[in-house]
Amino acid sequence: MPEPELLQGTLDLLILKSLALDKMHGMGISRRISQITDGAFEVKAGSLFPALYRMEQAGWLSSEWGESDTKRRSKFYKLTRTGRGRFQAESQRWERISLAMASALRAT
Amino acid sequence: MLRALFQTLFRKKRAEQELDDELAAYLEQTTAENVRRGMSPEAALQKARRDFGGMEQVKENVRAVRVGVSLDILMQDVRYAIRSLRKNPSFAAIAILTLAFGIGANTTIFSVVNGVLLKPLPYPNPDRLITLWETHPTFGQLLSVAPANFYDWRAQSTSFEKMAALDPYPDFILTGTGEPRRLAGAAVTADFFPLLGVKMALGRSFWATEDHVVVLTHSTWERYFGNRTTIVGSEVRLNDAAYTVVGVLPRDFSLVNNASDFQARTRFDVWTNLGLTSPPAAWQRATHPLYAYGRLKPGVPLEQARAELDRIADDLRRLYPDDNKDKGIIPVPLEEHAVAHVRTALFTLLAAVVMVLLIACANIANLLLTRAAARQKEMALRAALGASQKRLAQQLLTESAVLAVLGSGLGLALALWSVPALVRHLPADLPRISEILVDGRVLAFTTLMTLATGILFGLVPLVQSRGVRLNARGVSSGQSRMRSALIVGQISIALVLLAGAGLMTKSLRALLQVSPGFETAHILTARFSLPPRYANGNRFGTAAHREISAFQRELGDRVRNIPGVQSFGFASHLPLAGTNNNWSFFIEGRPPNPPGVFDSTDYRPVTAGYFEAIGIPVKRGRSFEARDDEDHPLVVIVNETMARQFWPNENPVGKRLRFGDQNWRMIVGIVGDVHHEGLGIAPAPEMYIPWGQVPNVEVRPIVVVRSIIDPASLTSALRKAVAEVDPEVPMDQIATMDQLVSGSVGESRFRSTAISLFALLALFVASIGLYGVMSHLVSQRTREFGIRMAVGATRGAVLRQVLGQGAKLAAIGVVSGLTITALLGRLIASLLYGVKPLDATTLAGVSILLAAVALLASYIPARRAANADPMNSLRYE
Repeated sequence: MPEPELLQGTLDLLILKSLALDKMHGMGISRRISQITDGAFEVKAGSLFPALYRMEQAGWLSSEWGESDTKRRSKFYKLTRTGRGRFQAESQRWERISLAMASALRAT
Repeated sequence: MLRALFQTLFRKKRAEQELDDELAAYLEQTTAENVRRGMSPEAALQKARRDFGGMEQVKENVRAVRVGVSLDILMQDVRYAIRSLRKNPSFAAIAILTLAFGIGANTTIFSVVNGVLLKPLPYPNPDRLITLWETHPTFGQLLSVAPANFYDWRAQSTSFEKMAALDPYPDFILTGTGEPRRLAGAAVTADFFPLLGVKMALGRSFWATEDHVVVLTHSTWERYFGNRTTIVGSEVRLNDAAYTVVGVLPRDFSLVNNASDFQARTRFDVWTNLGLTSPPAAWQRATHPLYAYGRLKPGVPLEQARAELDRIADDLRRLYPDDNKDKGIIPVPLEEHAVAHVRTALFTLLAAVVMVLLIACANIANLLLTRAAARQKEMALRAALGASQKRLAQQLLTESAVLAVLGSGLGLALALWSVPALVRHLPADLPRISEILVDGRVLAFTTLMTLATGILFGLVPLVQSRGVRLNARGVSSGQSRMRSALIVGQISIALVLLAGAGLMTKSLRALLQVSPGFETAHILTARFSLPPRYANGNRFGTAAHREISAFQRELGDRVRNIPGVQSFGFASHLPLAGTNNNWSFFIEGRPPNPPGVFDSTDYRPVTAGYFEAIGIPVKRGRSFEARDDEDHPLVVIVNETMARQFWPNENPVGKRLRFGDQNWRMIVGIVGDVHHEGLGIAPAPEMYIPWGQVPNVEVRPIVVVRSIIDPASLTSALRKAVAEVDPEVPMDQIATMDQLVSGSVGESRFRSTAISLFALLALFVASIGLYGVMSHLVSQRTREFGIRMAVGATRGAVLRQVLGQGAKLAAIGVVSGLTITALLGRLIASLLYGVKPLDATTLAGVSILLAAVALLASYIPARRAANADPMNSLRYE
């Protein structure tokens, strides 16, 4: 399935959302995004990793090395306090936008 | 953010490794997932790779993000900092200017310290270059060397790769290139330039056995031989003899030396071969004209050389007890010797200027504190919006860094302008002046200073902001404690600087108040160089000797007739202008000294009229007269110190003594002591001898003319008179005695001026700081004062309270400053003349000055507090 064009900020929000419950490694994040969007978004490594690095340096995510469930040494990401705040603010903003967009499109 | 940037820039390798690991894990996990979905391992890997996209491209994207985000955040902070500074331009201007002056002054003084003290000497492997000296328990340390002793040192020592000697006396008159010119010469052994490691710009150095060869300095070559490259191999006429030019020194060659070396000669124009290829005659152990150098063999420590030289000195003492009794040899690294006399002074200056910078930093920190207080609401808002403490700290630090960078940039520009200006005004006895410039090391120093200051004043509000939680009134007691501590620090540093400045100024004044022993006003001096027909016969009673007297007589007749001239005379050396000739003597009727023990004294050839012209008083007996010449009985005049020392309870006038030439000379007078070696140095025993009767005459007569008009206006008449007597005699070093005296305290004057300047700057900056803090405190307490006055406090009470607070800070600052001064005082004791490091008057004076300024700085805000309308201030918030 071709990857739909992601709106600016959508990928960030999806990453924040997937990490909201627990820490995860890159592959896990990509799998989780695919699950929660019912396969609508397949995030490729080429988009995922730059986004993870950017968000880490912005202070939203922190990372540490650990072992995955398959005993493979992997880098795990989790939300920081700032990242959590960001996630809340972003999701509210997104809901407002999508509501607004939806009602705009329904208008006659 | 700074750490991320640091990691990006410096921990690249590790970051790359981690990225590789992470991506490999991802690929593996995707493959495993595909297998779990039922693919064959090969197909699973293939699909995983396909989905992944190009490995390199992914990495490239990540890298771009890594650098980009760091820079992005940095730029964002910088923009934010600049924006917030622009919102408050007076704060920004004060902070940046304060810093610019502080950094500029530091960079300038460090350039001097760097050029003079820190840079390696301009020779290869300079740490192996050693100066070698004779020592004697009574004559002193660092004595110049006897040729025969040098010859033995060189022959017997094994620690040195090379040893060379320099004789700074030869003088040459260059003819055949237009007007005759006097050239200052040095005779050096053939190893001298190879020892220093100097590569000639043209030609070569001379060989040991060559005679009548000469090496020119670059400027001599340029000035008199028009840069002709054909000069090498051609002949030039020096002192009426033909010399072959074998080499020209490079333009940047300079002989780094201590100002007291070489009998105060500051430059050499031509270099001839000293020879010393065969053992010198026995009498060459009794004369000490040489300056000796050695280059240690690689890996040989100085201590080993010292031990070896001690053994050699031991042998020489045994072999030649007459000349070498009690004589030792000491090696001193050239690096150390050349700057020994200025090291303390320069480091003191550097310390002073660093203190000024510290005060400036404290001021900026205080300004930042005030700002931080004003911005607490802004910060609280940002924190509430999710900015982390760390992020806010980063922003504050970035702001300090922006201030530091702007201030330092301006400071560096100031230094680039002031260093060359300063170099022109440095005292002449500072070595290596030509090496003072803003170079890489200076830039590194400035960068370090910038970082240090930025962090220093940036951290203060930061440390503060941790303690401060938002409270209703916006000011916590912790903050005012920090301010008070900064102010106390500033005041105490300012006091240390003021005390230093006070002491040095007083020392300079004491130096200038020393009566030099002669009169300084209305006196012109000039030096002549006599051609060889005068010079060659320098033995007593020869025809050439009479020629010199005849020249002096003829010139005298003409000078006497110049309008305005009162009196005049000749001397071989001027007061305050370097070393003398030293002779041992024997007093008639006294038992002979044991071998190796000498009565010795400096002596100066002078002519009749010299004492009158320069104003040295005759205390007893008579002055020299025209009849004291070759054909009349031999006479001498001694100074008061010599009379006191050698004839403690007798009148020396009428007594006789003799030098090595065995002729008895009668003492006909006693004259006043003169500070010949420097105003701060006590006069030594000295003897004056009529020029015509000197056993071994120096041929550079210096004329001293006393006039009733401006002495400098006599120059051209004097020049004309000389040309009439002998057109081949060059005249140079024309100066008034006032100029010479002033020049002799140049280093001391420079030092006290510079320190005073820094101290005034410190006083100014510190008082501004105190003013700022008091104003701030007053404005914070407006409401409180309003209430007090509303319930009946008088204006006077409020005024006293604010003033009292300022006075308390000032008092603590002054006391701690005095304590520091007491601790540091002995470090500058060697720089002071005629004043103790803990001079009570000076310390009391600067304390009062500082306290007065501090009170004034608190008075203005205090009056504002007292004059405020209580109703207004109550309404204010």
